Amino acid sequence: MVINQGMLYQHVRNELWKLFGKKRTYIGFGAFLVAQNLMLLLFRFTRWEHQMETLLAGNGYLAQEYVSALTVALIMLMPQILLLMPLYASLIGGDLMAKEAEDGTLRMILSRPVSRFRLVFAKWITGVIFSICLVIVLGVTAVLFSRMWFPWKSLFAFVPNRVFGLFSAGEGLKLYVFYNLLLTINASVILGLAFMFSCFNMKPAAATILALSVLFVSLVLEGIPFFEHYQQYLLTYHMQTWHYIFAQPIPWGELGQSLCVLLAFCATTFLVGAAAFQTRDIKS
Amino acid sequence: MIELDHITKRFGGRLAVDDLTLQVPEGEIYGLLGHNGAGKSTAIGMMLGQVWPTGGEARICGYDVARHRRRALQKVGAIFESPVFYDFLSGLRNLEILSSYTGPATRARLQEVIAWVGLSGREHSKVRTYSHGMRARLALAQALLPNPELLILDEPSDGLDPEGIHEMRLTILRLHREMRLTILLSSHFLSEVEQLCTRIAVMKQGRLVFEGPLSATKEVESWIRLKVGDFGRAATELRQAGLITRDRDSKYVALNDGTGADQVVRLLVERGISVYEITPAEETLEDFYLRLMNGH
Repeated sequence: MVINQGMLYQHVRNELWKLFGKKRTYIGFGAFLVAQNLMLLLFRFTRWEHQMETLLAGNGYLAQEYVSALTVALIMLMPQILLLMPLYASLIGGDLMAKEAEDGTLRMILSRPVSRFRLVFAKWITGVIFSICLVIVLGVTAVLFSRMWFPWKSLFAFVPNRVFGLFSAGEGLKLYVFYNLLLTINASVILGLAFMFSCFNMKPAAATILALSVLFVSLVLEGIPFFEHYQQYLLTYHMQTWHYIFAQPIPWGELGQSLCVLLAFCATTFLVGAAAFQTRDIKS
Repeated sequence: MIELDHITKRFGGRLAVDDLTLQVPEGEIYGLLGHNGAGKSTAIGMMLGQVWPTGGEARICGYDVARHRRRALQKVGAIFESPVFYDFLSGLRNLEILSSYTGPATRARLQEVIAWVGLSGREHSKVRTYSHGMRARLALAQALLPNPELLILDEPSDGLDPEGIHEMRLTILRLHREMRLTILLSSHFLSEVEQLCTRIAVMKQGRLVFEGPLSATKEVESWIRLKVGDFGRAATELRQAGLITRDRDSKYVALNDGTGADQVVRLLVERGISVYEITPAEETLEDFYLRLMNGH
């Protein structure tokens, strides 16, 4: 299929105008900022900070060196990535096509000589751009807000199943940036999943709920002992392997496998969505 | 300009359009009539490649819409009932977005079309601040931007006030006159179709029940309006004398070929029936349409 790049650029620009022209697009960003500051306050003014200092001291480390802006930013980021980010990415993904169909603007667009595949592709690229923006804003604001309360020192990172990792500020920042880049893949996968459902004939809310349901089921199955040997078939398992970026040594093989699985999942959801959109009837 | 060749659409078990064949000739204002659910919007959807036909072929400017969508729709503009836009964006931004799906429009072209539809000065306002009439003009602007040769209007007057309807009617005539556009107009307003269209098609339950020039709808039978002392008796006497073929609504009689109104009056007076009024009754499109729908 031939795609005219100039036209595609224009269509992606259109989609970005539409997406970022809506106030509701920014609600999620606002929710993230509120959640980050709330967690920051909880960390500063409850026993949370003290418990972490005790943990570090118990392992023979100087607590003051590791209770830093980077450490707190990472602590704030993890629950948000697990809870808020899927919710918000699937909300936007579910809206991308289904909201236009619901509002009737899709019918206007499809009275034009534009191919359905190109339209889907432009919307999908917009979704990926949005996912990248979302994670970058999330990562940057987490560091900025925590820097307002905590010093710029070494990074302490808790790694599930691998105890924890300790890094100098420079090395820690590099890993933090890399971790955020990998998280953009998670956001794109979730958004792509909701986008796929959105390409079928359904309401935006239904697309969002279906995408969240898939993630939820995967997460639940991952927690059941019976599925321990089948974890590599579960989406959420691969979405969590990015934590291993803070393990020493970094298990590149495992990370590469997860990267391949998630990219393949992304491509599959896109193709299924495009095929569904190609064959459906658009009516008022 | 538009050719539908034995086109059929089935949604599950429901037949929405049944073996529809029609041609919209270049330069016509063509009316598409039918009740809600008659299949008009589905037929328009198939013309624009939004609905996939179950059978048959829809061609625009000679191109099969399903197979050569881009070429077929290159010179087509469309307006749908209750036009919807991206309310949170300005009118100008909406036009930029929608026109880019055909090909980018220059600033000058955008301003030219905005001026033509009478939206100059308001193009930078958010669409959510527009009245229904302004939205209708914006819809017209987006349809005109790609320099169309064919305009498909699906209930364009829907939701407009009487002044807006009148304005829309004048605009359609202006478009036809000044830009020589071929126009397909689907409308519930029969008077609008009667005033604008040169040719019509009527659909009923997915099937085409009439297709032809508007003038043909008025030539079906020669009716006269009769106001007499006893209409029932008068109709019976006239039928027995072979002067009329039918009567309806206790008011109208259809004259037999070669029968003149003077013969009718003479016979009725001879039979002692008082005649108060006798006038030729030209059938309106509404009469014709209702007759088709009621299966008379």
